[in-house]
Amino acid sequence: MAVVLEQSPAVRPRPQSRWLQAWRRYSRNYFAVAGLIWVILFLLTGIIGPWIAPYGYADTDFLNVYQGPSWQHIMGTDNLGHDMFSQILWSTRFAIEIAFGATLVSFVIGVILGLWAGLAGGITDMLIMRLVDFMYAFPSYFLNLILVVKFGRGLLPILFAIGITGWAGYARLIRSLVLSLRNSDMVEAARALGASPVHIARKYVFPNVMTNMVVALAFGIPYDLTAQAALSVVGLGPAPPMPSFGNLVANANANILGYPWLLYFPAGIFALTLLSFQFVADGLQEALNPKGGN
Amino acid sequence: MADALLTVENLAVEFQRNRDRIYAVNGVSFSIAPGEALGIVGESGSGKSVTLLSVLGLIAENGRITSGSAVFQGRDLLKLRRRELEEIRGRDIGMIFQNPMTSLNPVMRVGDQIMEVMLTHHVASPKEAYRRTIELLEEMGIPEPEVRFRNYPHEFSGGMRQRIMIAIAIACNPQLLIADEPTTALDVTVQMQILSLLRDLRQTKGMAVALITHDFGVAANFCDRLIVMYAGSVVEVASRAEFIRRPMHPYTLALKESIIEVGHRHREVRAIPGMAPVLTSPPNFCAFADRCPFAIDRCRNERPQLRSFGNGHGVACHRAEEVLELVH
Amino acid sequence: MAIVRFLIKRIVAIILTMSGVIAVAYVMMYYAPGSFFSSSQIASALGQLAVQDPHAYQVTLKMFEERYGLDKPLWEQVLKYIWYSLTFNFGNSYENPNVSIISQLKVALPISLELAFGSVVVALIIGLPLGIIAALKRNSWLDYTLSTLSMTGQAIPAFVLAVLFILLFGVVWPGTLPINGWGTFGNVVLPVLSLAAPNIGTFARFVRGSLIEVLRQDYIRTAQAKGVPYWRMIFRHAIRNSLTALITVVGPTFAFTVVGTVWVEDIFGIPGLGKMLASAFGNLDYPLAITSVYLLCMLVMVTNLIVDLCYAWLDPRVKLE
Repeated sequence: MAVVLEQSPAVRPRPQSRWLQAWRRYSRNYFAVAGLIWVILFLLTGIIGPWIAPYGYADTDFLNVYQGPSWQHIMGTDNLGHDMFSQILWSTRFAIEIAFGATLVSFVIGVILGLWAGLAGGITDMLIMRLVDFMYAFPSYFLNLILVVKFGRGLLPILFAIGITGWAGYARLIRSLVLSLRNSDMVEAARALGASPVHIARKYVFPNVMTNMVVALAFGIPYDLTAQAALSVVGLGPAPPMPSFGNLVANANANILGYPWLLYFPAGIFALTLLSFQFVADGLQEALNPKGGN
Repeated sequence: MADALLTVENLAVEFQRNRDRIYAVNGVSFSIAPGEALGIVGESGSGKSVTLLSVLGLIAENGRITSGSAVFQGRDLLKLRRRELEEIRGRDIGMIFQNPMTSLNPVMRVGDQIMEVMLTHHVASPKEAYRRTIELLEEMGIPEPEVRFRNYPHEFSGGMRQRIMIAIAIACNPQLLIADEPTTALDVTVQMQILSLLRDLRQTKGMAVALITHDFGVAANFCDRLIVMYAGSVVEVASRAEFIRRPMHPYTLALKESIIEVGHRHREVRAIPGMAPVLTSPPNFCAFADRCPFAIDRCRNERPQLRSFGNGHGVACHRAEEVLELVH
Repeated sequence: MAIVRFLIKRIVAIILTMSGVIAVAYVMMYYAPGSFFSSSQIASALGQLAVQDPHAYQVTLKMFEERYGLDKPLWEQVLKYIWYSLTFNFGNSYENPNVSIISQLKVALPISLELAFGSVVVALIIGLPLGIIAALKRNSWLDYTLSTLSMTGQAIPAFVLAVLFILLFGVVWPGTLPINGWGTFGNVVLPVLSLAAPNIGTFARFVRGSLIEVLRQDYIRTAQAKGVPYWRMIFRHAIRNSLTALITVVGPTFAFTVVGTVWVEDIFGIPGLGKMLASAFGNLDYPLAITSVYLLCMLVMVTNLIVDLCYAWLDPRVKLE
């Protein structure tokens, strides 16, 4: 039939699940798909890396320093004779632990404060939002530096230093979601029809919140990856012998004129990883929150 | 009509939306005489706005004019280059739009927005343009024009903003004013004021007005002649008197019945059953057939052409005669 | 005057915020093990001096103890430190106990300001046209290329880019551009580019999005209906409106850039505030470290204030409050 009645449910095909639709939109974005493949490889490397690493991360070989790539050390060795390949595998492991851990810490704090502010309202809301505004205006990197100086350069101190400074965005997001959902017609209508709060939450609130969460987390992880590497720039990265991409890049930079190849693998892999996470986050945003198309 | 101001002939416009092609205007013809008030009536989506916007090259970029001509002062607007069309817009043809709240540039003083149209078309020096802007604001019934000149749009009410839009549209004394749902977004009392302002302007300046509206009452009140559109086609065209005396198209009848007659005994509002269709193929049938109580098989298989019934009254309905007989 | 009231309110807010931060930080540091401000910390920081010149060591130690009132109760120390900070009385650093921090700042701060503002301006000059082109040619291959490049710029942090520049101009094409130091025009190029690249991406993407949004607005159609020529419509009506929105991202972008100066100055060996901060943290020189953090944060807050003023000036709908 040539006449299509708009908004007529009888004519429209049954809508697919929103996640399936989102995936179809996502898979049309080639950069996002390429990014996803790299991110998956990166995560797998982080999981199995320690088992396939030919050397331990603290193993040094003073007879073979500053080696170019060879069969023995496929990515070469650094100034202390660390095997670059093993260093990168372990760095991946630690980078994932810190980034995911820190994002989780930020997220939990953000959810708690955001829910609290949104549900309590009044003066509590105002105070929490003031704090959020402050955290936004205050460059969190400096807080990270102070916290790391104070609490040490181990994996957990770094993780928490980044985690407890990065929650402002999540808190703001959660609060605005709480407010918009509390006032939304959809929830209002469901309540008027006698739907139970649990049903409303599961059917209306949760899916809406989920998509926004996923996008926020997808942007949060590369941010935290960057934050931890940035600590190494001023020499406050993980204490040796623990390797990290930041340390590897900083170390390569210190020796760059004599031994530039030290930079290629860590900087290349790190840059590609950040880029991939960015593409994935961006792809997810477009797939999950399509704004009217073009 | 050799002396017509604007003659649109067989205009067709399509839009590309995702994978669908939408046939928004399908072979529309009409003309406007100098000084005439023409009403173009239809539901939203009937193609009434697109018809006139496309003539001025103002449709969205996914729209395309596929056929037709629109001759204005001896030139076919559809064949002009962008530059030439820009010279006509605002100078010879003024436009006002549905939503005065969003139609003015929020970061520009309203006076500058009125002056801009005169300066663009070099019809006045900056000094003259300023003087004329103050005059226009006064004419539009805006108090303290020198002060208001320097205000921004958000400092005005909706009705006031529409007056400013009208001032912009008529600043260069165009011969044709296209008013696209000029009162839809306004309160009823403000609607009346704006319409009477337009009526006064038409009388004093002698400009033709094309009033696009979904409100049959407004159109019948304001216009000399009316065109009723449905799904991108003209279904009926006639003078106001003819429309009041003997409307013939079933859709027009339904539209007339859906007017709320305030102060009337029967305040019943009868909505037309069903929805206005969006055409995804060119109509070789009557698009109203699905909602029409008079529809027969022929309506679904053959597109009705506009047929003349005398007195300039044209109807595009296979069963116009039967409808006329049944109703009157 | 609304603007004077607004300014006073905001400046008071900045002072209160900074005081609050200092107080919290100081108390936190005080109770945490190995307090920043304790005689033993200072003593260990001055260890080298103690070996070289025991007398000078005693004098210096005394000076620091007195300055921070380490024998006084905590609340007095906190108030003292807040007062010092607000009056820009930063004292001396552990590293150079004979030179006041403020005299070091006179050299370092202008350099960092030049870098930070310069890179934001460069980013605007490059990012705006790219965003405008992408928006006007949206969904073309040019748009996709620009968007991908912008995203790449956003994803790669300034310190990685800086190191890559060093690789490029130190190893691949040595001698074309200086990769270390400060003072000539050539010294400015690479640091500014490293800092500007992420911002170029941010600005280009933001302008693209907001311009596409603006071009859909009714007032653009009004401008066209007035017969305003295309390019004048784009510049006077469309771009002017999307710029007011852009102002809102300049603030956060600037904060981001200020952090970036720390990395870039350290990597390119530029004697600015960022380099000062980096080496202060490296040497655990707390007076200097905290002073530089304090100043960089002030810089961010003052810039945010200026951004808000610009926003109100550009968009008549915004009221200062």
